[in-house]
Amino acid sequence: MSDAVVLSLTHPPEHALVAPAIAADRFATLGAKEIAALPVLHGGRAARLGDFWRVRGERSATLRLEGELDRVEGIATAMAGGEMVITGNAGRDLGLELGGGRIEVRGSVGDNVGGARPGAARGMTGGEIVVRGGAGAGAGAAMRRGLVVVLGDTGPGAGRGMIAGTTLVGGRAGRGAGRFVKRGSLVLLGPAERPATFRYACTYRPPHVALLLRYLRTRYGLEIADRYVTGRYERYTGDMAELGKGEILQWIGN
Amino acid sequence: MILNGVAIADTFAEAFTMRVARIVITARTAQWADAAATKLTGFATSVIGCKVEAAIERVLPVSETPDGRPGVSVLFLTIDKASLPEQLIVRLGQTVLTCPTTACFDGLPDAPDRLAVGKALRVFGDGFQASKVIGGKRYWRLPVMEGEFLVAETFGMQKGVGGGNFLILAEDADAALGAAEAAVAAMTNRAGVILPFPGGVVRSGSKVGARRYKSLVASTNDAFCPTLRPLTASALPDGVNSVLEIVLDGTDAPAIAAAMRVGIRAACRPGVRQITAANFGGKLGPHHFHLRQILA
Repeated sequence: MSDAVVLSLTHPPEHALVAPAIAADRFATLGAKEIAALPVLHGGRAARLGDFWRVRGERSATLRLEGELDRVEGIATAMAGGEMVITGNAGRDLGLELGGGRIEVRGSVGDNVGGARPGAARGMTGGEIVVRGGAGAGAGAAMRRGLVVVLGDTGPGAGRGMIAGTTLVGGRAGRGAGRFVKRGSLVLLGPAERPATFRYACTYRPPHVALLLRYLRTRYGLEIADRYVTGRYERYTGDMAELGKGEILQWIGN
Repeated sequence: MILNGVAIADTFAEAFTMRVARIVITARTAQWADAAATKLTGFATSVIGCKVEAAIERVLPVSETPDGRPGVSVLFLTIDKASLPEQLIVRLGQTVLTCPTTACFDGLPDAPDRLAVGKALRVFGDGFQASKVIGGKRYWRLPVMEGEFLVAETFGMQKGVGGGNFLILAEDADAALGAAEAAVAAMTNRAGVILPFPGGVVRSGSKVGARRYKSLVASTNDAFCPTLRPLTASALPDGVNSVLEIVLDGTDAPAIAAAMRVGIRAACRPGVRQITAANFGGKLGPHHFHLRQILA
């Protein structure tokens, strides 16, 4: 048993590399050779994890991924626990249907982070994903429970169809953010174009946002300015085309 | 033992195992946090009549509160497990929930016994309430006219200690009061300890039961009443004309012993003849605080 399992990218993939087997909780019971033998799909062809990564450590639920993983898709699919740090970027479908545990990405991620499989009714059911960079489309889409934080900009449809949970966008949120939300919170620190099916409720200081931002500072060391922690937010409830029990909390200043 | 000219009786304070919860209240200002905590802990001096003993434990700087606002921590103690959530639900609902700008957090997050207090209070939201999980803890957001009230879903409960005490035997009422005030000042704002009585001081110490009224649970401690010296088996030395008691509750025995140490030392001043303590022969409570051992 090691303090952590470290995967260092030695052969960057030439095509899309689908690697749902990479998950902190699964590595807790696997030796280094077993980890290296895990299946991946490279350009639609079967391969092994060891063909691309050097594996250090074994039998630990703490996982560190090194290298630029822009083409690696589906990392931590259905992960249920443990901790994962990705030092660079990651591809689409990171944390697909995440059930628990924590994922921290030092770079940016592709589409559908914390999202659902195509056609599935719900995405994340627990856990936390923190992205220090930006994200593609559909960050936190169809989330049932959990937390997705993207400090940078997001593509269209952040938090689309959320059932509950929280999606926080620190930068500019692309169009359609929060559309079809049933419940749940979309916290927007930067500018965004709100769907017309959200209704303005009030301007206030939501206590749970301050608590959340302070938690992110402490737990992940994120540099979140005081103006967001103590600031005022406009509350919009919606999506009125759905249950209408969700919210967009838009920071407007102190 | 003599301390600053004051005799320390060779006796012990007898205390009981209770159940304790710590509530952290924050607000926009320290004044509002204090206002909520003061109401919350009102009429909570003794389980004999109030069913709960509670008081402000510490004033918390912003660096120690979960949401970075001014706050206070409060300890709540009851005799049995069932009474603690009952008292918390009623009192938090009528005092902290109603107070402007407050939020309410669990001060014993590691305690395995959980009291579903916020979970019960959430129904005040009449279906408009919402929950949030932050850092693995669930909170309830209750819409209120001012904005939102945030309360932890559960609060920790653990074994605590109630009934630590010492008595200040003085030459007159002024000397007793001055010594009691000095003791309270020394024991205030200490982690793990509260003084549940008004100003931290009790003038009506009690004995178990009563001589005349058999239905009473407690009655005046006649052995320490100066006016009854000729009429009862008085425990008062000559020259003592006024007695005040300090009662301490806390999260654990070491915290109470440490507070008693500083409190007794502060109370040993001119005009005080003796420091003693109340006990029941050691047969009722498992925690015995021997005064001379504490001060040694």
